[in-house]
Amino acid sequence: MDFVQNLVTTFNFILQGVWVTIGVTLVALSVGLVFGVAMAMARVYGNSFLQAVAAVYSVIVRAVPVVVIIFILFFVIARFVNLSPFWAGSLALGFASGAYQSEIFRGAFQAVPPGQMIAARAIGMSKLQAIQSIILPQAVRLALPAWGNEATLVLKDSTLVFVVGVPEILRRAQQVSARTLEPFMAFSVAMLLYLILTLVTTQVLQWFERRYRLQM
Amino acid sequence: MKKHIVMSMLLIAALLALSACTAVQPAAQQPGAAPAEGSGKLAQIKAAGKIVVGTSADYPPYESIDADGNFVGFDMDLIRAIGERLGVEVEIQDMPFDSLIAALQEGKLDAVIAAMQATAEREEKVDFTIPYRMTKDAFAAAQNSTLVMEKPEDAAGHSIGVQTGTVQERWVQENLVATGLTPADKVFSYERADQAALDVANGRIELLLMDAEPAMELAKQTGLKILLITESTAEGGKSIAIPKGASDLKAELDRIIQEMLEDGTIQRIQEANGLP
Amino acid sequence: MEAFVQLLNNVLPSLLQGVGVTLQIAAVSLLLGMAIGLPVGVGRVYGPRWLQRALAAYITLFQGTPLLIQLFLVYYGLPDLGLTLGRMEAAFLTLGLNSGAYQAEYLRGALQSVGEGQMTAARAIGMSKWLAVRSIILPQALRLVLPAWSNEAIAMLKYTAVVFLIAVPDLMGQAKILSSRYFAPIPIYMIVAVFYIVLVGATYLLLRQLERKLHIPGLTGETH
Repeated sequence: MDFVQNLVTTFNFILQGVWVTIGVTLVALSVGLVFGVAMAMARVYGNSFLQAVAAVYSVIVRAVPVVVIIFILFFVIARFVNLSPFWAGSLALGFASGAYQSEIFRGAFQAVPPGQMIAARAIGMSKLQAIQSIILPQAVRLALPAWGNEATLVLKDSTLVFVVGVPEILRRAQQVSARTLEPFMAFSVAMLLYLILTLVTTQVLQWFERRYRLQM
Repeated sequence: MKKHIVMSMLLIAALLALSACTAVQPAAQQPGAAPAEGSGKLAQIKAAGKIVVGTSADYPPYESIDADGNFVGFDMDLIRAIGERLGVEVEIQDMPFDSLIAALQEGKLDAVIAAMQATAEREEKVDFTIPYRMTKDAFAAAQNSTLVMEKPEDAAGHSIGVQTGTVQERWVQENLVATGLTPADKVFSYERADQAALDVANGRIELLLMDAEPAMELAKQTGLKILLITESTAEGGKSIAIPKGASDLKAELDRIIQEMLEDGTIQRIQEANGLP
Repeated sequence: MEAFVQLLNNVLPSLLQGVGVTLQIAAVSLLLGMAIGLPVGVGRVYGPRWLQRALAAYITLFQGTPLLIQLFLVYYGLPDLGLTLGRMEAAFLTLGLNSGAYQAEYLRGALQSVGEGQMTAARAIGMSKWLAVRSIILPQALRLVLPAWSNEAIAMLKYTAVVFLIAVPDLMGQAKILSSRYFAPIPIYMIVAVFYIVLVGATYLLLRQLERKLHIPGLTGETH
């Protein structure tokens, strides 16, 4: 039957975009993690200058729509480095996510009792050593629920990089609907794939949380 | 509280200053895309063994993507034939039409082939080869439309769709909106040509203006009819865009295109893709 | 510098028009989201089992998929089924449905935190479930949900940014057209970013004033 054949073609075509979507999400989350932890550390333990920089980064980036940040960074990155749309787009998304992650880790750092830092310094550790071996391990586990939430958000926002040409799920859906002229089918399949991705991700994250979570 | 307000204002000022700097320096003067290197562009491409070409694959029969994800169409066949004559591989990247020139400027692409016309504004930012095909535009409308058009200006007053960044969009802005013939809120700019065609088919807009051959192709697919084919909305033929100052690349591409026009290669590729 | 001022002159009028459209979409979608979120939230907590499941499915669907795909489905997909909405209506509907799902969840949390004890007491003195919800639980829950609601309002301003992809002439839509007309993407998007910062900042300040006025000491446990 024509409909079934179309459906199968559509599904297979869009399915190839799933790997790209997962790739973008993972790269963006990792980049965001680096920015997020670094900025959170600067905000909580840094001197006034570092605190200001981190605060500005967090407030400004969170006040701008992610798609605008992707556009700006894509063109800015392109000016200096020759990266493919995949890498440029993922980096841009990661930069945006970093601002939200910095807030998550800031909360986590602040939730660790300050007495621990004082005690660590008292026995001669430097600030950095204390953060690295005592505070950070706890903060990361405290941050798990909120971070898991952010991870799901990044997965959904990964679709925005299609505006700079990355062949992820949505772009594939557009391409196939241009050929089969069945946009409803194409976008429904795309939605279904995302639903599966988010459900799987949520389950994995919940499993992690149950095992490693810390509550203070 | 006051500290935050002052900070944000300083920041906004800094952002604006930053934009001012990037606005004033055209990309060609930034490191990485310097015109002084342009004279070696052809050599660079040959040394790399491949040419990176940008396109917007939403425009059959010029460029589109087939069921297996391959780039097909007149422009695609043409650029691959050119690549053969240059002795290099062809790598094609798909992106929104209005990002192509910027990507070329920023050095992310070696060339752009996308049924693109060499307009005066584009010539300020990039160079073009000689045209490989003349341009004809078409106005398309829904099958049951009662509109009759004898000249482009008959589109006045009706809602019309165009693709962002195209000569057709500019024509509509300059000849219909700026002259007051059509109100600005009746002009809609779409990312992809096929999206505009869909919207004409389902009645959201009355007309669209785009290249004639893709219009005919899309009209067939979505059940539209062509109201008018004209050359007066076009600015020139279709050319390949290349980085500004890449004179050696231009010379070589011009030579190849001329060759292909004379030995019938272009004719053959046209016929193979159903182009008149 | 002069070139920048010249550019600014050229693009500002169109961008301001875009801001108007953005604000309009944000406002209507937010209100639609409230209109949907309220009954859905209440239904999720106090409705019959089958309704709770159906509403949970709606919420999972809209929270578990990207807004942009929902938008494309509504705008380009529905005509396939015979329903062709105008672009503004499609934007309102999609953003409204999406926001409604999140607002329903916030309300559900608020309703549940008001406490079962109050519901039990109300039923004990003979009130029907719905009367109890309407006159005792809901008014408190609505006060509790205000901070989450203000966050949603601010977030909505940012969510509207994707509607340019269905050719709506909002701030981003204007920016896209202008950046390809003037071949100056970075400055133009930077200006757009500034616009959004100002909009978000202004909304945040306004909402904080509102929160202060409606604050019940001791109920929300907030410290400002």
